[in-house]
Amino acid sequence: MAELQQALSMVFAWDILAIVVGASLFGLFMGAIPGLTATMATALLVPVTFFMEPLPAIGAIVSATAMAIVAGDIPGALLRIPGTPASAAYTDEAYLMGRQGKVGQALGINLACSMVGGLIGVAMLAFFSPLIAEFALRFTSDEYFWLALLGLSCAVLVSGSDPLKGVISMLLGLLISMVGMSSVSGQMRFTFDIPGLLGGISILPVLIGLFAVAELLRRIPEVGRISIPRPPTVKKPFEGVGREMWRYKGGGIRSGFLGTLIGALPGAGADIASWVCYAISRKLSRTPEKFGTGHPEGLVSASAANNAALSGAYIPALVFGIPGDTITAIIIGVLMMKGITPGPDVFTNDAVLINAIFIVFLLANLLLLPLGLLAVRSARHILSIPSGVLYPLILLFCIVGAFATNNSMLDVWIMLGLGLLAYLMAENDFPIGPMILAVILGPIIESNFLRSMIKAQGDMLELFDRPIATTLGCLALLVWASIIFSTFWNMRISAHEAGST
Amino acid sequence: MRINDLLLGVVMALLGAITIWASRDFPSLPRQPYGAGTFPTLIGALLVVFGGIMALRGWRRRGALFAWQGEVGPKRVLFCIAMVIAAVVAYIELTPILGFPVVSLVLLTLMIDWLTSHRWVLATSVAVIATALVWLAFAKLLHVPLALGVLEKVVY
Repeated sequence: MAELQQALSMVFAWDILAIVVGASLFGLFMGAIPGLTATMATALLVPVTFFMEPLPAIGAIVSATAMAIVAGDIPGALLRIPGTPASAAYTDEAYLMGRQGKVGQALGINLACSMVGGLIGVAMLAFFSPLIAEFALRFTSDEYFWLALLGLSCAVLVSGSDPLKGVISMLLGLLISMVGMSSVSGQMRFTFDIPGLLGGISILPVLIGLFAVAELLRRIPEVGRISIPRPPTVKKPFEGVGREMWRYKGGGIRSGFLGTLIGALPGAGADIASWVCYAISRKLSRTPEKFGTGHPEGLVSASAANNAALSGAYIPALVFGIPGDTITAIIIGVLMMKGITPGPDVFTNDAVLINAIFIVFLLANLLLLPLGLLAVRSARHILSIPSGVLYPLILLFCIVGAFATNNSMLDVWIMLGLGLLAYLMAENDFPIGPMILAVILGPIIESNFLRSMIKAQGDMLELFDRPIATTLGCLALLVWASIIFSTFWNMRISAHEAGST
Repeated sequence: MRINDLLLGVVMALLGAITIWASRDFPSLPRQPYGAGTFPTLIGALLVVFGGIMALRGWRRRGALFAWQGEVGPKRVLFCIAMVIAAVVAYIELTPILGFPVVSLVLLTLMIDWLTSHRWVLATSVAVIATALVWLAFAKLLHVPLALGVLEKVVY
């Protein structure tokens, strides 16, 4: 109880509250503008959080991402353009409701269900993660090696239709993580005699390059070519929302739980959760024929799912230090920069901080409703900002943010280089998720493997000596078998198609 | 721009081969075969294997080495990318000499002016405000040493 009180007094300090509200407003802005994603918002926020204590840093990222995902629903309902990929599953549904004169109701459902989903996710996070952490205290380097490998492998498996490209993206990420001093032996690797590379490539310029610069390179050519139409005004945002939510309460709650679980899986994030829950609610619906015509049922489920998934992703991130998606990969990077290695020990040594993080989550999700309403009211103004003004400002922010990590221009070069690489990769359908997860997980996998080998004096089979390690190891090998199988299966199918045409 | 899998696969396999070659001298840990070279060699080997599979797939599917996709023409896209690269390189090279305020002001004005088809009043005013805000936030509040360059003599 004393811990909870301490945590409460930590969160309800004016500076933390100001940061949470400020970051929410930033997330609101980024999410509401089509083309700017929640991950990009996080990448741009990290340079600022770099100068904060751990709690406000996490609070800022949590509230900005939750708000960005919700604000992403707004241009979806108004203009049929999803603000972030997480809203894409139900953009048509919300827009068609708008065409029936129910745009206020559609947005109201988005907001209220996002909050409910988010709260379910936070409750599950706060309930399950300490339990899992207690179990994980018995883990040794063997289990961590397999767990990190399993996380990375799952991220490759779910990354897209072409697992081969996911694998290569992952390998490039691992290669980036090898630069600098080896954490176990102290050997210098791939530093090209550049002193700035001795400590390895910093995570910040990598994030900004992969998620902000690459996106800018994709968007800038479209400036002036694609014009955003003027959005309609929203009348009576909460009319009939309570009634519809009560009618579909089962679907909403189910999606909250399912979304959290999907978010907790490595590699699957808010966008996959909302697609899956939308599809399931259609399958279980009494009126599946109404889906896709402006029917609120799918909207209730999918809106709840994507925000629940955001919280779910923090379960493996906080308990094991294994990120569930790109945003938690960034969070782990931020915590490591602050000298905190996420893992079960944090739950025992730093219980106050963990409780405070849960309270921040709760707060950020409760803020969704009032700030979301503000976002709906100001959507016309936000959407009228010309992208020609916005993109140069974001570019400047990227440069200054990358520079601010180590006060070095080398990081700006790295940001530019990786931005170009990520742009080319995205143009050729390489997923970026496996790459950033590999950058974070590479050192974890390597150092745990080498530690296990030192203990086992080089006997690789000892990695399978403990029951949990064996289970995790078999799962990881199974995932790899399916990656390789589907690669060859794809090749066979494409060869067959080429032969028949 | 879509590049044929054959070409991409060959580049990845080459990168893998170079990685293996560059990690050949990393010493292993005492009394065992594993060490600082294990992972880089493994990553390199996997790049060779999977790059090879990708090249093979691209070769079997044939198709053009380079193809253009998307609604915006190649000239415009390449020009925009070149502009972004030029802006970042100009920032890196010029900031130590001219100072952050000057470089940021000029770069922002030029880029906004270009992207909003010459609304230069808007461009200049946004550039002035943004430069001042970034300076205040990063240099003053967060103590990031953004260079003053020649302005150092003017200010001090």
